[in-house]
Amino acid sequence: MSAERAETVSGGSDRWKPQGSLALRRRFLDRLATGLSLVATGVALLALCSILLTLLVRGLAGLSLVTFIHSTASPGMNGGLANAIVGSLIQTAVAILIGAPLGMLCGIYLADYGRGWMASTTRFVSDMLLSAPSILIGLFIYQLIVVPTGHFSGFAGAVALAILALPIVVRTTEDMLGLVPIALREAGIGLGASKWRVIVFICLRAARTGVLTGILLAVARVAGETAPLLFTSLGNMDWSVSLAQPMASLPVTIYQYAGSAYDDWVQLAWTGALLVTLGVLAINILVRVGFGRKGA
Amino acid sequence: MSGTAVSERAVAEKAGLDKPAISVRNLDFYYGENKALRNISMEFPTRKVTGMIGPSGCGKSTLLRVLNRMYDLYPGQRATGEVMFDGRNVIAPGMDVNRLRARVGMVFQKPTPFPMSIYDNIAFGVKLHEKLSRSEMDGRVEDVLRRVALWGEVRDRLRASATALSGGQQQRLCIARTIATRPEVVLLDEPTSALDPVSTARIEELLDELKKEFTIAIVTHNMQQAARCADQVAFFYLGELIEMDSTDRIFTAPRETRTQDYITGRFG
Repeated sequence: MSAERAETVSGGSDRWKPQGSLALRRRFLDRLATGLSLVATGVALLALCSILLTLLVRGLAGLSLVTFIHSTASPGMNGGLANAIVGSLIQTAVAILIGAPLGMLCGIYLADYGRGWMASTTRFVSDMLLSAPSILIGLFIYQLIVVPTGHFSGFAGAVALAILALPIVVRTTEDMLGLVPIALREAGIGLGASKWRVIVFICLRAARTGVLTGILLAVARVAGETAPLLFTSLGNMDWSVSLAQPMASLPVTIYQYAGSAYDDWVQLAWTGALLVTLGVLAINILVRVGFGRKGA
Repeated sequence: MSGTAVSERAVAEKAGLDKPAISVRNLDFYYGENKALRNISMEFPTRKVTGMIGPSGCGKSTLLRVLNRMYDLYPGQRATGEVMFDGRNVIAPGMDVNRLRARVGMVFQKPTPFPMSIYDNIAFGVKLHEKLSRSEMDGRVEDVLRRVALWGEVRDRLRASATALSGGQQQRLCIARTIATRPEVVLLDEPTSALDPVSTARIEELLDELKKEFTIAIVTHNMQQAARCADQVAFFYLGELIEMDSTDRIFTAPRETRTQDYITGRFG
């Protein structure tokens, strides 16, 4: 049987042969396109690897225990990044604590309740916020919180970051709830459950990996932001964990130290940049590996 | 058209069927401007299986979704007429639809296990309507799983995710979930169309058991299934109830030629 078939494959008429110049041209274009794509990929990867490699080499040079236990200090005083690391963690955490629940509720509204102009306006504003320059958000919070309270504060910084996180969570929550099959909603309703109960206990549960992915991506986004913090939490040379006081953060410290004239400050900026990058990278890897194919 | 209703009841009585659990009178249904059901009058006898057949888009699933007000979810869908269940018109405004849905349960075409454990899939619906102690809930879960013949297969993994079950097991779980709220009526919307023949046979066996306790309405595209499971069969065409009679009569001596044509496979 198979021998018979093999015979058929090798046989046939002349029409099986490539049709002259047209076939050659097509084969050439195919190779050309493939080659160009490979070159483009290579250029992009080269840039990325070059950044990561430089960061790794320059950053690791200054990484030691002191980085984690000493706060920033005057040049030559053996300063570390402890205040900036903790400040970044606190402000990011508070930002997510504010932004994630708000964003999820808003996403639920858009996915399940919103109709008409109210919903389309909300969606439009949220999408605009997604691409708004982050420095504008810093200025907005400066006017809203810093000016009335009379001083910069970690809280103001966290609120600015929360506004950045908000549209990311709104978008992913709405999208992920939209992917929950209607059949699953109907099954919940069919048992006599109210709408909010179906949303909270069934739909959100079905969409939980996606929603969590969105929140983690929001964390990764805000953890590296500098501009919204410049006019809000300002930065702080000393150890401070009070949200009412100006608060240090890694991105702002990098911004201030990278351009300074002191070698040890520049070194700290490199190390800080490495820490931020590794943190964000870790979150992205967690999202992809941890949540498998459902990840972003 | 009330004459039709009376004659349907006469037929039902002649066929030895009980008094109806649900009586539909002059029901019209609209998807927006589009009239999907026209002046339907029929009865669902208590603790009998009513099979609903007809070509796609004839309104049989629509009628099923009126009986538990599922259409409420979608703006623009509305029903007029009367659907009497336990002394109330269920399509009238002011109906407690959540209570209604606990008493008129529904099983869907595709198995829809909730993304939670097997145990919680059943407990979810029960908790909505009753306050049970832990041991009472355990008892309820075991009872309904036994009745759908799933207990032996899942007793050791009640806490495992329900989505890991096979399609047939999932559908039996969905039936268990539906009867766990102790409904009087169970609506089944093509419950076996997504299942393999073995799973289908098991669900059909299950229906025989369930009708001892529940009034059942089942929509099916499968003539053999209707013939095997139903006590009476209703044939729908283009939003109208063409004919309803005992299963024997429908399949051996239908009054309408359209019924005859459909069941012999001439259209549909």
